[in-house]
Amino acid sequence: MGDLVDSMLDLMRRLPPTRTEENVTALIGICPEYADDLLGSVDQPLKLRTDRATGKEYLACDYNRDGESYRSPWSNEYDPPLDDGTIPTPKLRKLEIAANEAFDTYREMYFEGGASSVYLWDLDDGGFAGVVLLKKTMTPTTIHEPSGSWDSIHVFETAERGRQAHYKLTSTVMLQLVTRKGSDSEAEEKAGNGSGNGSKWKHEGEVSLSGSMTRQTEQDWPILDSSSHITNTGRMIEDMEIKMRNLLQEVYFGKTRDIVYDLRSVDDLEKARRQIELQKELVGKLGKR
Amino acid sequence: MNATERIEAACSFLLQSPPGEINDVLNDVRNIISDDDSLHEGVLPALKEYNLSQFMTVDVPGTDHQSIVSEAARVAATQEGQERFIDPRSKTSFLFDHLSLEASDSQPEEPDADSEPFRSALEKATLTYLAAHFHDGVTSVFSSKEGTNQFVIQVVANKYNPANYWAGRWRSSYTIDLNENMVRGQVLVNVHYYEQGNVQLSTTHTISLSLPAAIVTSSPSSSASKILALIENEEGKYQESLNDTYQEMGEKTFKGLRRALPLTRQKLDWDKVLGYKLGAELASSKGMFGGS
Repeated sequence: MGDLVDSMLDLMRRLPPTRTEENVTALIGICPEYADDLLGSVDQPLKLRTDRATGKEYLACDYNRDGESYRSPWSNEYDPPLDDGTIPTPKLRKLEIAANEAFDTYREMYFEGGASSVYLWDLDDGGFAGVVLLKKTMTPTTIHEPSGSWDSIHVFETAERGRQAHYKLTSTVMLQLVTRKGSDSEAEEKAGNGSGNGSKWKHEGEVSLSGSMTRQTEQDWPILDSSSHITNTGRMIEDMEIKMRNLLQEVYFGKTRDIVYDLRSVDDLEKARRQIELQKELVGKLGKR
Repeated sequence: MNATERIEAACSFLLQSPPGEINDVLNDVRNIISDDDSLHEGVLPALKEYNLSQFMTVDVPGTDHQSIVSEAARVAATQEGQERFIDPRSKTSFLFDHLSLEASDSQPEEPDADSEPFRSALEKATLTYLAAHFHDGVTSVFSSKEGTNQFVIQVVANKYNPANYWAGRWRSSYTIDLNENMVRGQVLVNVHYYEQGNVQLSTTHTISLSLPAAIVTSSPSSSASKILALIENEEGKYQESLNDTYQEMGEKTFKGLRRALPLTRQKLDWDKVLGYKLGAELASSKGMFGGS
């Protein structure tokens, strides 16, 4: 039945990223028996929650979920409370606390706002795994101001091999940007250069760029003690986010724009064609001389 | 979910298909629902809605051009209940299979004598505009079903490049109303880029313009080319304004969400980030530095 999950994932790769949550819910409705496969493989926008004990914001995703409850990385408590919720071993929890503090600094340095959360869990083979979550949202104060959101999900697995550790990192960044434009906002700038015929267009519209990209890497790093896992994954995630930010910039602002220009040309294509014809003719004439 | 709800969900998926990927989405949906009999009947209305709203193009039988299958092209159903679509350019109508996307049973259609001169002038001007600005554009120009002295210009341009994981569609639609001397239009652009990800551009742009008397009172051909000049100008400006929007999003929103580098212009010093105290505490708990 792997086929079925493949079809669901292929579908999610094609449908609009702005409607991911709605579509995942519909797919789970059709095939409830594959809910876990789907929730585990389709990245959804991170939900912001507030820790009741500390008042600090944290991020909710499938990795800190147990039933209907989510665990806060700050207080280690589930909300709604669970008596038997899964929590990390005391040793791993200590590392989790330190990782949350470190990535909180990372968040402030790069995002200057937003929220971050790190969750760790033990693996059966003796190693451990974790997820580093970062989210920032820009809410416009007026309707014509651009809005946007950035969600990072970095999932890693590590296995120690003597004084080295092997890391497998899968990073997904979801980015959404929306701009609304209307005659109101452009009335002044357009006033100077009307259409020339004394006729003025009224227009309004929206531009929405949204989506997600995923990349993977595997690396070996030396370890001195367990805190090395934080500095190692920290460097890997920092490099990965820098790489992915460049990639997103290229795809969002470069590739999609190029495709629009592949559909429609601002310049007159007929004129260009005539020019090429003319050039050919000239070259032909010159050749005959 | 019961059978009806499953079909409803399938229809919703189909209607969200990116340009040129309706068959991929249909294959996925077919696998997921795994009940071809009820699916086939159930999704036909959604396929039709998708085709009409996305300005599906079709090879017109007996011609070497394509026309647009849309609500404006739909002819009232015949007594046999068969739905036909008109191609005003060849003055024919045809049956359209919403699954195979093929036209058949071409029949001549007599145009309305009063509106045909202006419609055909608009068509000529639009074809000139299309050749000047669209790489693979298709247009249909209709005398509106809604009323006399109303015309509908539709333009669609598609580029599908599945080998490089991208697709794009540009749709324009304008209603020219010579009773009110108004042009009302909409431009919609969709782009899908899906190499190791899923990124979509979706834009809407609605416009309206009152036509100056001088344009309306000219001869059909002069009036039509003036209207198309206005559309050419507006669409060109819109495309350029998209550039500004891109720049604004890149410089304000994108940078505001995440910096390229911290204010220090350097990557983080992770040993410092971790903090001496925290690091030391963790180290002692593992005992590796116990002796030092």
